[in-house]
Amino acid sequence: MIFIISIVFAILAPAGAWGEDLSSSTESDRIQRLEKRLEKLEAERGPGRLTPPNADPSRRFNRGISIPGARAPRATGPSRRFNPAISVSGLLLGTHTNQGNADSDREVKTGMDIQEVEINLSANVDHWLRARLTLAMEETDDIEIEEFITEALIAKNLSLRAGKFFTEFGKHNLLHTHVYPFIDQPLVNEEILGEEGLNEIGMSLDALLPLPFFSSLSLQFLEGDNDLFAGPLNDDFLYLVHSKNLFDLTADLTAELGGSFATGRNGAPLDSDDHTHLAGADLTFKWKPAGRELYRTFIWQSEFMNASGVNEARGIYSLLRYQFARRWWAQGRYGFFTRKGGEDPGDQNRISALLAFVPSEFSTLRLQYNHLDPSQGEVEHQVLLQLNFSMGSHPAHAY
Amino acid sequence: MSNNNFQQPVKIAFLICAIAWLLILSAADGALARIRVVTTTEDLAAIAREVGGGLIQVESITRGVQDTHFIEAKPSFMLKVNRADLLIHQGLGLEIGWLPLLVTGGRNPQVLEGQPGNLDLSRAIVPIEVPTGEVGRHMGDVHPEGNPHYPLDPENGPLMAGAIAQRLAELDPKHQSAYQENQRRFANRIAAKLPEWKKRLAAVGPRVVVTYHPTWNYFLKRFGIENAGTLEPLPGVPPSPAHLGRLAETMKQRNVKVILQANYFETRNAELLAKKTGARVLSMPVSVGGAPGVENYFSLFDMLVERLAEALRQP
Repeated sequence: MIFIISIVFAILAPAGAWGEDLSSSTESDRIQRLEKRLEKLEAERGPGRLTPPNADPSRRFNRGISIPGARAPRATGPSRRFNPAISVSGLLLGTHTNQGNADSDREVKTGMDIQEVEINLSANVDHWLRARLTLAMEETDDIEIEEFITEALIAKNLSLRAGKFFTEFGKHNLLHTHVYPFIDQPLVNEEILGEEGLNEIGMSLDALLPLPFFSSLSLQFLEGDNDLFAGPLNDDFLYLVHSKNLFDLTADLTAELGGSFATGRNGAPLDSDDHTHLAGADLTFKWKPAGRELYRTFIWQSEFMNASGVNEARGIYSLLRYQFARRWWAQGRYGFFTRKGGEDPGDQNRISALLAFVPSEFSTLRLQYNHLDPSQGEVEHQVLLQLNFSMGSHPAHAY
Repeated sequence: MSNNNFQQPVKIAFLICAIAWLLILSAADGALARIRVVTTTEDLAAIAREVGGGLIQVESITRGVQDTHFIEAKPSFMLKVNRADLLIHQGLGLEIGWLPLLVTGGRNPQVLEGQPGNLDLSRAIVPIEVPTGEVGRHMGDVHPEGNPHYPLDPENGPLMAGAIAQRLAELDPKHQSAYQENQRRFANRIAAKLPEWKKRLAAVGPRVVVTYHPTWNYFLKRFGIENAGTLEPLPGVPPSPAHLGRLAETMKQRNVKVILQANYFETRNAELLAKKTGARVLSMPVSVGGAPGVENYFSLFDMLVERLAEALRQP
């Protein structure tokens, strides 16, 4: 066995390990060859970058941009360029609830968990198409395609996306778990759109409108296969429209106003109310002082959602996020949700507070408290602690 | 079935809207008058103005007082990118956290990566501090392609202007000679100013400083001033008391009298260090537009050289 291993090592070992003479002679040959090439190049180019002290500096500057060798390829750089950019986000979660774990139907339980691990791959497919794949693993055994987006700019101001993605319904629904402003989703998103959000296979036309302020309109044609809609059952789609508008109130303060509407057939029998309509509105104010953006941010974000159809429900959340030091954020959130009819009708109120410590762009430690007050049942207190990290290629965060 | 009657027109409206947008929006892009240049920073805007003169219209996405590492991809910036004929950026990973989103969100085929309307100016200069070997996040906010703060070397100015002139000439061949002439004039002015700046900084005492972040290294290298250390233990990592303690020792040993930092960083830590070591905190703009009176590339260096020379001369 040892014999075999040593043979393998001997074969794999670099040339230098075999004999000093051999390697050093080829080394000096190479240096000589390189020196000759360098001399030749210098002769061709005239004086190099080291200009004599009294040379006319403008002549040197006027040579423009062609500096051979300014970007000599390095082994770790360009050779890897064709690989997709890879990043991995991980969310570790510890939870305590005063309700205990006796009821096995409860979503939130006392204990430790892998909230989610996301693997992100993105690259230009070719000269016109760009693609991104996000694989998500919740807990330790399920893996799913969370998003798989191909995107192309098909005309000025108009892009087309196809694949599986978080639909443009409101603001929070677009977010991956690791960029949620709080550890959990707002109550209304959880209850109306579901744990996984309104995530669909389909197509999306996104247009930037020619207006003096930012205004973008999305039209989405979606499979509509989830709790709210049953597109495939009806040979039909889910149709969604979203308008996003941003106004610069001052150089440091913006207001964003959005409206969403989605409609499609649901699983109810044809003669009853067989359509679900979702309507949503969102308003966000964001303040970041120029010159101190590293230290202060203030965000006030609110969203309203209404679902009509078999499951009539509506709700709202409003959240505040304040960055009070370079690495510290304090946040608060209020959420209200009400359902008429269905399995468990009634109201729910939730108040949350969060403190985040952000050592770098790539890791965050967050402590959150939830006070959940349902109209039926007991008040619940939850404490959550989350470690949120990402590794790999640098992310660009949406505003 | 009554719902189906309601549903049908909605679907048709959807399709009509989709097709109408295709036509209207692609036609809405009007005839171009002056070339619209959008830059990521005010330094690049200042140099583009020197080169383009009245032939172009220039706008910077960020302001000189801002830390360009930490800009957010505000949708209103997407509008700027959307309306640009030429997008000039600093590259070397400086804008990595926000520019890709602006380019995608801007939905402007002219300025996509690889198009003539997209100019990465870092290709015009020779970057310093390019890490050799493997890099990792344990090294802080390391830039694998080199230090991105190259406009702070005045000798890079004419190189950047050269690249801009070349690209403007490609986009607008009619005015090629004007762009070249403007670039030449700019290069000559820098060439005339440079010995003056060098002389001013050569005449001072101990030519060593510490800085908050490696922002200043191009500037210091050009003027032969040594950087004895940074307040950040690693790039992008805020100072820790232990690190500041060690840095204070170094400063005493090396007789460092000046703590140099970009004015978008808080001076709290620098002031603590100054108190410990008797050094002076110099919080200065690092970009055109970074302070009142810093209106162009020349006044930026006039101010930096003057204030640094003065601070270094203090006993």
